[in-house]
Amino acid sequence: MKKNGNGTDIQIAICGSAGDGTIAAGDILKRAMSLQGYKVIAFDLYPAEIRGFGKCISRVRISSDQTYSLKPQSDILISLNDPHAIPHVGEVRDYGAVIYEDMPIARVPEGGHISAHVRPAQIPYGLSIRYISEQATSSARSRNIVVLGYLAGLLAIERDGFHQTIQEKFKTKAKAIAEQNIKAFDAGYNLARGVFRLDTVAIRPPRHAKSGGDAVMMTGNGAVVRAFLDAGIETYFGYPITPATSIMERLTVEMPKTGGRVLQTEDEISAIAATIGAGYAGARAATATSGPGLALMAEMLGLGVMAEVPSVIVVSQRGGPSTGLPTKTEQSDLNMAVFGGAGDAQRIVLAPTNVEGCYKCAGKAFEIAEKFQTPVIVLLDLYLSNRYETVIPPKRNPFAPKPQKALAALGGNGPYKRFAAKPDHISPRAIPGEEGRMHTVTGLEHNELGRPSDLPEVHMAMSHKRHEKLKGALKLRDLTLCKRFGDDGPVDVGILGWGSTFGEILEAMYAAQEEGIRCSAMKVVMLSPLPRDKVAAFCDDCREVLVPELNYEGQFASLISGELGRPVTRLSQVTGAPMRVEEILQEVRQLSAKARPKRRRKKQDMGDERASEAGLP
Amino acid sequence: MNEHLKPVYLEEKLDEIRADGHQDYRSKAVPTWCPGCGYYSMSEGFTMALNRLGIEPENTVVVSGIGCASRFPFFVNTYGFHTLHGRTLPVATGVKQANDALTVVAVGGDGDAFAIGGGHIPHAARRNVDITYLVFDNGIYGLTKGQASPTSALGFTTPTTPYDNCDQPLNPLMMLLSYKASWVGQAYAGRPHHLADMIAEAMAHRGFSYLHILSPCVTFDKTDMTYANLDVGVRDLTDDHDRTDLMAAVAQAEAKEAPALGVFFEETRPTLADAMAETIRRSGGQAA
Repeated sequence: MKKNGNGTDIQIAICGSAGDGTIAAGDILKRAMSLQGYKVIAFDLYPAEIRGFGKCISRVRISSDQTYSLKPQSDILISLNDPHAIPHVGEVRDYGAVIYEDMPIARVPEGGHISAHVRPAQIPYGLSIRYISEQATSSARSRNIVVLGYLAGLLAIERDGFHQTIQEKFKTKAKAIAEQNIKAFDAGYNLARGVFRLDTVAIRPPRHAKSGGDAVMMTGNGAVVRAFLDAGIETYFGYPITPATSIMERLTVEMPKTGGRVLQTEDEISAIAATIGAGYAGARAATATSGPGLALMAEMLGLGVMAEVPSVIVVSQRGGPSTGLPTKTEQSDLNMAVFGGAGDAQRIVLAPTNVEGCYKCAGKAFEIAEKFQTPVIVLLDLYLSNRYETVIPPKRNPFAPKPQKALAALGGNGPYKRFAAKPDHISPRAIPGEEGRMHTVTGLEHNELGRPSDLPEVHMAMSHKRHEKLKGALKLRDLTLCKRFGDDGPVDVGILGWGSTFGEILEAMYAAQEEGIRCSAMKVVMLSPLPRDKVAAFCDDCREVLVPELNYEGQFASLISGELGRPVTRLSQVTGAPMRVEEILQEVRQLSAKARPKRRRKKQDMGDERASEAGLP
Repeated sequence: MNEHLKPVYLEEKLDEIRADGHQDYRSKAVPTWCPGCGYYSMSEGFTMALNRLGIEPENTVVVSGIGCASRFPFFVNTYGFHTLHGRTLPVATGVKQANDALTVVAVGGDGDAFAIGGGHIPHAARRNVDITYLVFDNGIYGLTKGQASPTSALGFTTPTTPYDNCDQPLNPLMMLLSYKASWVGQAYAGRPHHLADMIAEAMAHRGFSYLHILSPCVTFDKTDMTYANLDVGVRDLTDDHDRTDLMAAVAQAEAKEAPALGVFFEETRPTLADAMAETIRRSGGQAA
């Protein structure tokens, strides 16, 4: 976060076991806070199993200024299940609070209660969560809502927003359920008003209260859905796979309302095949999947490239390879998205870095796919798909509708040249139903008519056409292909990032600037074709280039260093969780010291910035 | 007088063919099939069926997979999509989902349909996508020079079954009947006029229609599914066959040693487009 006076910036972590209502509590918290005009970023971790006793954590960062990622430390930890929450006590900062059950129903083994793990500098708040829930609602099921009320009371937050959110959350259920949960909330709230105040965690009134009404909570997947609808998607094909499934589920509800068609196919191969079939027939069509699904789609992507058919594929990455870690985040499908498949099958790959970016990229993907007659992959990951951010939706639909092609007078009597050579390498594209323009498209190499041909001159010319036409995408004006943040001009450390990790990168960069390190960061949204010149110019400005990403080998680092022919420093990790800001910052500090070994000493000796500059080799 | 004894004059016959109009559905490309290939009857039958039904070529899309049969779209003057091996049906489903007004015909061979693409057939059938699926079964992989296919007979010798094929062949008609395809029929390339009738009837059916076409590979199969063997092997479905009776159809399909020609099964039920319209209605929306 950019430092900006005395704003609010707190983070709450709620930890429980699957079935405790952990994620639901986090959901109510973030919606209620967003309703009051705060900026919210939230991300849940949950197990791959639906039932059982897997760990769930919901983390919510609430701030008055724009933030870009979760904080490495939480201000408050709420435990709904001590064995799961105990390992997370350490993430609570000094003078932060830990809220827990103080009346367990069964004997707790030695060291099994969280109170034994709270550190001296942390403030413990024990309450009889289960008892209060039972008193308020005759059931222990509202424990999650009781602690939420307790939290709100402790921080003295207005409860109206919570009441409203709880009403909204349970509106599809029986009326009594919402009422009971409000009772549970109030019981917790009232209790907290009577205990000693937590004045080390402050929440101030939101600064931009006005925008509160316009702002909405959205996940990356939610933004994709919204963008698809705004862009006028006509048909969608998909196969369930974590973490992309929620896109299909939401579209299945929304698309029919405007006459759209959603089909759950028998596998990912069919999903992309039907998407390409619909694209060939002129519809705005899309599919969404994760890494394993993209692997199945690879052959069809090649057909889309070869036959020059538009299609939009959203890929939300998860831990791999194979089935891997279905509910954990990773950025390890970059290579497959950019290069996967047989032959020279270059395609367009967009990787948004935040929820707003998901909206822009997913909506623009249709226009780009239609313009360049090629598959467009929008590359997300689980962290981006599932994390909530407050976004202010655009006032006006920003996406161009599908061009309504007028039937131009037919030129000549010759057969229709679907793949005719043009200066911009983009041929006219007739769709079925247009008279006199019948043609066949194929995955075989073909001539201008679309007829199979393996002549060397044909293959060379067509390969050239398919690659060159994509260069036009680098000239797109209305989409951020890459962007630089932080210090201008030459810097010691430049952080080059892509995808969801860029939030942590920005946080780390601003923190490094605070420490007096000259640094800047660049996000690269278009991974293919790569905006090579701009990335190269950025790297030329940096003494050291750091590439943090969530995969083992550093796939983006390899792409960049291969493309630019220059070394970069990799910061790669595969923990299944987002990268920690502190780790990036630590790397930046080290690179900064490497870039200017004498700087700090000189500065101390002479107290003169220019002298230190002069002292450089 | 027997019509075969009438003299045929070339010019007259050509005039007759031109006047008929079905040649307008042919493309300028010269077919790549071997002389005598059963696929010539397919392209002839298909153009005759389109002509008879009066379907405009610009409103027709032929989707095919990979194989000898799948080269078909290049030789007809309609919109065509020559896709990937085995992926004919999902692509065709996508085309139909995008635009109901199009007549969509999926074409493939036995390997394309029942080996690599076998997983897609039940789903196209159960959804009752309103497309026609023409499968040309020659019991062999012709384009890769004669390997065994899922419909190759037991004991058939090919480059990949040098010590004879020991895999039980599939019974495609039984499969399609059990998938509840809403129209199932069989034809033979050696009877081109019947084939044309059957293609026309399959295309006229509203819903997923499956036409199995026995089609000899004259180049790589000299022993099994030859014209000589099939000419004496095939029989017509009897007039008393009840095409609404699934079990009767199954009994006919099971008698594979003498393949029956005709319509095995037919039923009318909502198509995928109908289901989509119903979903749109339930959501409170209006069809686009």
